[in-house]
Amino acid sequence: MSFQIPIGPQHPALKEPISLRMTVEGEVITDVDMRLGYNHRGMEKLAEEKSWLQNIYVTERICGICSHSHATCYVQGVEKLMELAPPRRGLYIRYLVAELERVHSHLLWLGVAGHEAGFDSFFMYTWRDREIVMDLLEMISGNRVHYAINTLGGVRRDIDEGQKAKILEGVATLRKRSEYYFYIGANEPSFVARIAGVGYLSKESAIALCAVGPVARASGVARDVRKDDPCAVYGELDFEVATADTCDVLGRVVVRVKELLESYKLIEQMVKGLPAGDIAVKAPRKAKPGEVVSRYEAPRGENIHYIKANGTDKPERLKVRAPTLANYPATVEMLRKGFIADIPLIFAAIDPCICCAERTVTLVAAGSGEESVVRMSDLRRQALARHQNAPVKRNAVWPL
Amino acid sequence: MSDIEIVESLKRDLGEKALDLTNPDVRRIFVKIAPPELVPVVTLLRDKYDCAYLATISGVDKGDTFEFLYHFASPVANINLRTEFPKSEPRIASICAVIPGAVLYERELQEMFGVKVEGIPDPRRLVLPDDWPEGQYPLRKDWKHVRPQEVIPGGKS
Repeated sequence: MSFQIPIGPQHPALKEPISLRMTVEGEVITDVDMRLGYNHRGMEKLAEEKSWLQNIYVTERICGICSHSHATCYVQGVEKLMELAPPRRGLYIRYLVAELERVHSHLLWLGVAGHEAGFDSFFMYTWRDREIVMDLLEMISGNRVHYAINTLGGVRRDIDEGQKAKILEGVATLRKRSEYYFYIGANEPSFVARIAGVGYLSKESAIALCAVGPVARASGVARDVRKDDPCAVYGELDFEVATADTCDVLGRVVVRVKELLESYKLIEQMVKGLPAGDIAVKAPRKAKPGEVVSRYEAPRGENIHYIKANGTDKPERLKVRAPTLANYPATVEMLRKGFIADIPLIFAAIDPCICCAERTVTLVAAGSGEESVVRMSDLRRQALARHQNAPVKRNAVWPL
Repeated sequence: MSDIEIVESLKRDLGEKALDLTNPDVRRIFVKIAPPELVPVVTLLRDKYDCAYLATISGVDKGDTFEFLYHFASPVANINLRTEFPKSEPRIASICAVIPGAVLYERELQEMFGVKVEGIPDPRRLVLPDDWPEGQYPLRKDWKHVRPQEVIPGGKS
């Protein structure tokens, strides 16, 4: 006898709306259904009514965490359509902000992962440190969330020597702290035991289901647009693609941790090698008819925009695919055969951004068909209780 | 493989099937095919060109026809498969049997353009609400949003 449990669309623990329907037998999930659209705002239709310049600010508002990613993906495409060559200093500042954004997004996610696994001091530490990078972003752009630093043909604000010194100082602190947390993670067996083996996604499934970003890389698929399709400055910088082969939540933590260190490396290279010159060139009001496919590696995975111009000052078509949408089929696979208590951890591990792609869990009892709505806090309590009683996986190791 | 090698190889493999083959930018290849060739060509791209990763499917309303672009990415190139069919016969085959990760994109195309994707494993709506009226397809160019008349109980004061 199987039950169906609804989680979402409105749920106290979920910051954004999505509805998951789990079919469970006992405590094991046998099937998952996702319903989207609770946050659909019709942005693609709206973009056809706005000018090229206005659309930078529309695309920036697709997401509140990776706001710079969508704007960057859009401007680099439109610059190709308009045949603009932004000055190198402008490009360096644009991708410097992009890497700072990746650092803040990954630190945020590490805190959430710690929280869902019941390791709340980890959550407090990483979110405290996230303030360092948020302050740096505010210093560069004037804003904490929607930086609004991109413009067609470059960026809107320059950085000076004092700001460069502050960025290097902040990154040095963050690197020391991050390394300390990895040490704690390596020596905290209960944390490793909680996340090892949870949310398994094989390499074959990751490829077949078109997973992107840290989810794919944690399953051993080295897919990173910064390396595969280097745009602007990434071709001339030294960094590595972080991968893991454990295919579980532990792997996804490890990949993001390694990516943080790679981002620090990139930030230092960009600040130290910042070329002199202008930060922007003047952009025309209209674009010639044409089409372009623009790809960008957002913190959550590949972001792709297809832009078609018809010769006017407005796009004919702007198609946006955010990374979270690409990871949903893989999430369904990860949740299958898992436990109810692991739902928050597995779902958090894709770093879902519902705004980008577009929470309640309904559990239906396998015998009676009765629906019961469970709060995320109760689920978390169940999760913690289950793992206090579960045997410790003594052979699980932190593979750093 | 470099872009030129991929283009040459595609020319050999597709022959007459490739109605148009361009390479407008570095690592960007656009191939145009007829709708009936879609599934065989996708299978060829997956097996021979390492394009198991479908980034997304874009739909464009071109007036009398619909144009769908299947954006594939391999580690070395971005191959975009383009196909065009008349608005009067809005039907296209599903590629879910070849690329299982395509299902969400095909569901989105169905509700946004009113194109019937034949053989899709899950034909439900993706983002539009359950009470969305039949026959309304928001991303068609002739579709305009009409704000419903505001009804204030008791009338405006």
